[in-house]
Amino acid sequence: MYNVVTSMVRNVTGDEPVRNPERGNAMRDTGLRAGVARRVRIGALAVGASAALVLTACTTPESTPGIEPIDPASLVAELPAATTEVDQVTWGLVEGEPLSLVPGYDYNLVMSNLCDSLLRVNGDFTISPGIAENADWVDPVTFVIDIRPGVTFWDGTPVTPDDVIYTLERHRNDITSGFFGAFVLVGGMEVTGENQVTIHFVAPDSTFREALSGGAGAILSKAFSEEQGESLGTSSGGLLCAGPYQLDSWTPGTEIVLTANENYWDGAPLVKKLVFKFIPDGTTLTNALLAGEVDGAFNIAPASRSAFESSDQGRLILGPSTASFSFGPTRADGAGSNPKIRQALSLAIDRQQYIDTVLNGLGQPQSTFVAPFAWAGSPAADIYQAGYDALATPQVDLDAARKLVEESGEDTSVPLRLAIPAGNKELSQTAAIIQSAAQQIGLTVEIDERQAADFGAIFLDDPAPRENIDFIATTGYTETPGVLAYPQLFLLPAEFGGIFNWSNYSDSQVTSSLQAARTTPDPAGAAEAYVSAQEVFAPDMLQVTLAGAYHTTFLNNRLTGAVTSVAAYATPWALHLGGK
Amino acid sequence: MSASTIRQLLGKLGALALTLFLSSVVIFSSILLTPGDPVAAIAGGRRPTPEMIEAIREAHHLDQPVWLQYLYWIGDVLRGDLGTSFLYKAPVVDLIAPRLGVTVLLVLYTIVLIVIFGIGSGILAARRGGAVDKTVLVATSVGVAMPTFVVAILLIWVFGRLLSWFPVYGAGEGLLDTLYHLTLPAISLAVLYIAYLSRITRSAIVAQQGAEHVDTAMVRGIPRGRIFRNHVFLNASPQILSISGATVAGLFAVSAIAEQAFGIGGIGSLLVEAAARKDLPVVQVLSLLLVALFVVLNAVIDVVVAVIDPDSAKSRRDA
Repeated sequence: MYNVVTSMVRNVTGDEPVRNPERGNAMRDTGLRAGVARRVRIGALAVGASAALVLTACTTPESTPGIEPIDPASLVAELPAATTEVDQVTWGLVEGEPLSLVPGYDYNLVMSNLCDSLLRVNGDFTISPGIAENADWVDPVTFVIDIRPGVTFWDGTPVTPDDVIYTLERHRNDITSGFFGAFVLVGGMEVTGENQVTIHFVAPDSTFREALSGGAGAILSKAFSEEQGESLGTSSGGLLCAGPYQLDSWTPGTEIVLTANENYWDGAPLVKKLVFKFIPDGTTLTNALLAGEVDGAFNIAPASRSAFESSDQGRLILGPSTASFSFGPTRADGAGSNPKIRQALSLAIDRQQYIDTVLNGLGQPQSTFVAPFAWAGSPAADIYQAGYDALATPQVDLDAARKLVEESGEDTSVPLRLAIPAGNKELSQTAAIIQSAAQQIGLTVEIDERQAADFGAIFLDDPAPRENIDFIATTGYTETPGVLAYPQLFLLPAEFGGIFNWSNYSDSQVTSSLQAARTTPDPAGAAEAYVSAQEVFAPDMLQVTLAGAYHTTFLNNRLTGAVTSVAAYATPWALHLGGK
Repeated sequence: MSASTIRQLLGKLGALALTLFLSSVVIFSSILLTPGDPVAAIAGGRRPTPEMIEAIREAHHLDQPVWLQYLYWIGDVLRGDLGTSFLYKAPVVDLIAPRLGVTVLLVLYTIVLIVIFGIGSGILAARRGGAVDKTVLVATSVGVAMPTFVVAILLIWVFGRLLSWFPVYGAGEGLLDTLYHLTLPAISLAVLYIAYLSRITRSAIVAQQGAEHVDTAMVRGIPRGRIFRNHVFLNASPQILSISGATVAGLFAVSAIAEQAFGIGGIGSLLVEAAARKDLPVVQVLSLLLVALFVVLNAVIDVVVAVIDPDSAKSRRDA
């Protein structure tokens, strides 16, 4: 058996949004923004430390009338490319200040514009060539990368096979890298030509090519990175990559300034200076965007939807995403670890009402924690979609829910504790909804709001911070195509990479099907293996998925060209940004 | 300078040092005793392994007893090293220095507003009486009940969104632009204090207006304006100053609310962020800075009061 740790999920928690536990999704993590191997980032959606500052709160829907439904067909993954130069664009980061710009050490919306990847994920989750003009399997266990001749780092030095191997080995040899899991099936790498690297695998790996389209394939200069050591990519150090923008300055607590890389292999960006401001308060960001003082931002506060929609400064763009809101068990004992209790809670929560309340309508119901957008660009999309469509859609049935509680045999007098990151408005509303749903079926839920550092500790190896809670609510996303990140992290035994499988879920069919999905070279075969695992794990609800959230972008009317899907976390989303 | 003045000055300095020392102990231990672990902040974006966590704890002395950690910290501070931020990995002094200016400017701007409008409206209410007094009374009743963040929301809505007169985000560049940017934040901070100070001023003046020496002066035919300046206001000012002084010194801490609402990168918002992320070195230094500012401002006000009215200052000391 192979150890299929994946790691890409980013987790988040704490102060920022945690990404969902689904793999790589960015839930903004609240807390551990970093630290989590799963990078579930929890969401950026809502930072808003001061719930009180809800400028636009007057529009918060208690009841659903007045919330305009979104047609999923109207989602936009990429805006038309810009045509005119712009001196400066100011971008708001509601996710807060990046912890690092080194791929694998953090997840943020800055780094993908700096460190270009071997392959490029597009807004619609298809994959195009990047620094590698070609990167693909030549046989089931051999992957060959042909570096595009003439590609250089910002300082003009060429990107060599040595740089590629150095960068990939960083992830492979460092378990704390967010991309460690992408390399677990790699046996070795070698230079096989002037511009060629060959990677040998111990088993076929259906996820590897997709991983290279994101941070796992982002290339660093070996010489520069070795010289920088620990300060690489932090506010006190530098960075040398080959992306469309180069790092100009980073003033801690204030801003990061990028300038256009005029020698970028795919054409210089039209935006000459891209300034990122750290604005972790969602309301402050909303005001700055609506006043035109900040040009754009992702992950805007859903509560301000109507203000954005009626703005004459810019427009709100909704894009496809893998992001979702969910809650799941944190330990192997207690009622939270009982699937019947989770199923009962799921039956008690009205998803549409949830979406209208928490996301202000900017999302859609989702049947399991891996969102359909994860396979949007896959050649086997039909198989994935058919498997997904066969799943039960979440609906309300209080009688069935009460019956499940009864059948569970759990002591309902013991309150269930639900942890959420303090200050995250969406998750705080989520907790309140779970709490009232639980009450309807005879369960008591207590909300445990934890400060950033405290919430982040939940995701580390030490089980102590999880012992006095039953559930944790998070949001997360996966920023590159592929379905396996979340399932591997949440469903597999810990020794196979299930680092968030805190309830010790173990189903031999799920385990073997997921392993097969990872190691089947043919896309259709991998999809079938995944679908057969999904049939079993979806009803077990290791995460009770509450909603899929659209990727939100607010952009000033003078600008266009941004990538507006969740791929923005992995792709140089500002490459085609500029004036209309 | 007389010996007693020097003694007094030394006494004040000693009290300041003692206050700072005690505060540093209290702040240090309270940060460490609150839940949460700074290790995640130190590890940055990575998910630390147990070995890495051990190494981090050891490197930052987090595995030592609290008192020993305190000694390490105070030792560094006394050698002039304020420490390095866990989160930003930058020297604490480099983080605070560029932010201090904008916060100081914001607080000064707020104080100017408070003094002009707070004392001004208090005097107006006390001297004019009648409808003016009633109006000020109603306005200050509303003002006292308005928390800063509510005022911020209203200001952003009216002056930023509807009228577009003032910027609602950031601190601007250059002095004039910065003042322009700080206008709404300063008003949002000032409203509550204006109302409060207006009330104090009014009641202090009303009390003085009924005093015997004022009646005597009136009988002697001294012009009303002079009576007000020399007898009423001067006598009321120590009370106004000492009560409002302590409140205003607290503005440095409260400024965090306005800084966050308007996206101003000052020390207030830095403190809030650092506290949430358990960035101990930053929290510790900033908290002490705030305590020191508070103590120093109060001392300055004591001195001013003593100059205006030596007797009252003496009786305050003796009390």
